[in-house]
Amino acid sequence: MATNTLNLPEQEYMLPGNRACAGCSVGIVFRHMSKALDGKAIFVVPASCFTVLCGMYPTASVQVPVMNSVFPGTAACASGIAASLKKQGRDDLTVVAMAGDGGTADIGMQGLSGAAERNANVFFVCYDNEAYMNTGTQRSSLTPLGAKTTTTPAKGKMQFAKDLPAIVEAHDIPYIATASPGYPGDLYDKVCTARGISGTRFMHINAPCPPGWQFPTAETVAMAQLAVETGAFILFEIMDGKFQLTGKSLALADKDNRQPVRKFIELQSRFGVLDEETLARLQERVDERWRKAVARHRAEE
Amino acid sequence: MNATATTAEKRTGTPTLMQGNIALAEGAVQAGLRCYFGYPITPQNQIPEYLSARLPETGGVFVQAESELASINMVLGAAATGARVMTSSSGPGISLMQEGISFLAGDQLPCVIANIMRSGPGLGGIKPTQGDYYQATRGGGHGDYHTLVLAPANAQEMFDLTYKAFDLADTYRNPVLILADAILGQMKEPVIPEPPYPRLELDKDWALTGANNRPARNIRSMYLEGDDQEQHNYVLQEKYDRVRQEVPMWEQMDTDDADFVVVAFGTSARIASSAVRLARAEGLRVGLFRPITLFPLPEEALREMAAKVNGLLVVEMNLGQMVHDVRAILGPDKPVSFHGRPGGGVPTVREILEKIKENMV
Repeated sequence: MATNTLNLPEQEYMLPGNRACAGCSVGIVFRHMSKALDGKAIFVVPASCFTVLCGMYPTASVQVPVMNSVFPGTAACASGIAASLKKQGRDDLTVVAMAGDGGTADIGMQGLSGAAERNANVFFVCYDNEAYMNTGTQRSSLTPLGAKTTTTPAKGKMQFAKDLPAIVEAHDIPYIATASPGYPGDLYDKVCTARGISGTRFMHINAPCPPGWQFPTAETVAMAQLAVETGAFILFEIMDGKFQLTGKSLALADKDNRQPVRKFIELQSRFGVLDEETLARLQERVDERWRKAVARHRAEE
Repeated sequence: MNATATTAEKRTGTPTLMQGNIALAEGAVQAGLRCYFGYPITPQNQIPEYLSARLPETGGVFVQAESELASINMVLGAAATGARVMTSSSGPGISLMQEGISFLAGDQLPCVIANIMRSGPGLGGIKPTQGDYYQATRGGGHGDYHTLVLAPANAQEMFDLTYKAFDLADTYRNPVLILADAILGQMKEPVIPEPPYPRLELDKDWALTGANNRPARNIRSMYLEGDDQEQHNYVLQEKYDRVRQEVPMWEQMDTDDADFVVVAFGTSARIASSAVRLARAEGLRVGLFRPITLFPLPEEALREMAAKVNGLLVVEMNLGQMVHDVRAILGPDKPVSFHGRPGGGVPTVREILEKIKENMV
């Protein structure tokens, strides 16, 4: 049975009070991840929003061990921990490398690729808030086309976000999934699955950011759900090469009732400069990725 | 060369309220900056953010790289074409750039690198520090080299010294580092953002511009034949000796009749100048010596000044780096005491005044 908010474990690994911004989705992400891991994990975190959220011992807001890595070295540092734990015979712990979109897809890409190619026993999680939010919203390679950031001030970003799961999949690792704080039960179940697999596992999590995306702090979950309902973010998992849509995305594919991307982005002021042509290009890209995902799901069902 | 201190009050023109980081960026634009390559890190983000809008207005190029490793190597490439180029970063980002900086020095390529220092080691914090003095003045990366290092102490100097840095970089074909900190980067002060003098225009007969009807040029730092690498290092050393002769800049305050002198740079010097004023008000004959260039340190001026005083106090926002250079320059007979605050701590005026009194007797 799929997990929902009623049958989640009671145990909390996130303490009340942390340094995240109001409405931050990363708290929702970590809370459900840590429950799924039963707290039996070591987190490796580079410079990012999450390292600020965690705080520092002895005033940390999380009840799992956390270690800071250098910005480009998250996957490598996690690989080192995993190698040492193996030598110590500790197979009860999951080594989680948890980085933002910059720490994964920009400066962290080389380290992630190295770890994935070696199939290091690491669970790499990218929480993607689509820009360098911790340093004040500078563009990243996962910032969507047309989004205004502090380093794309004139017309918004000129390029599409790169397809991160596709890059990681090229490494032929045992498990890849996407997840959303809008659907925490789906997220929880995928982390449980990842925990039961050894080798490199990768999860790409959509992480709406009120100050960076510029929407009201109470709308975080609604925003995460709209990303999925419009197909701008697709929920799936790839187990040993087999691709399957999951949760809400699977339901959308069955009913064929996706919402237009406009509904998702018109609530975010970062797209305030978007013209109709750019919006059409965004919609076209979303449609194309959605068609491919549905076709692949049906072919591999 | 003795520097004339460059606060806005001492310049002619219309002052405007500017943040230090913006003054630095605008100084680069006025110096003819063509290409900026950078990557986000606090407390210097206003530099790339400002330039992302400002540089395209001047026909320049702004690129946000995927890492500091990429930034510095984009600088390496663009510098090889003879353009005026720069990057900026802080702490961990500057550390990540060191291999590229070593290449720039070995290749003798001009560029400007701004380090808006944050506390370390490691990920550290985002508070101000002067903990990167050693890294900046020793070269920082591998091999036997130096970067020129300029240490501004106010927003006007963030503008002026950055403007000057491009001339120095071109003159000596060498990377020039601006060493400031989170306070200097973040605070706002009146700035006259106008060039103090026309910029230097040199014929760059070494640049890679496409070998059209002339022999192709090479830019390299690898020499495997015979003693070529040794000879190359002698060439670099000769250049650094010229730099030591020609470039030193400093400021002296109340040193003429002083019995005791505080030596400090950047933010520490600003705070120390207040302590010196308070000491003077109490009738103590105290002065301030502020190196503006950290490589080269103004050795001769320091020696000359120190010959007339009984003792010195070096103040730094670290646990003792420049103080060892000052002691080496002045020798064992001159009493040199130290006061420092590490890891984002900032010395207070009272603290420095107490240390002055403690060490004057």
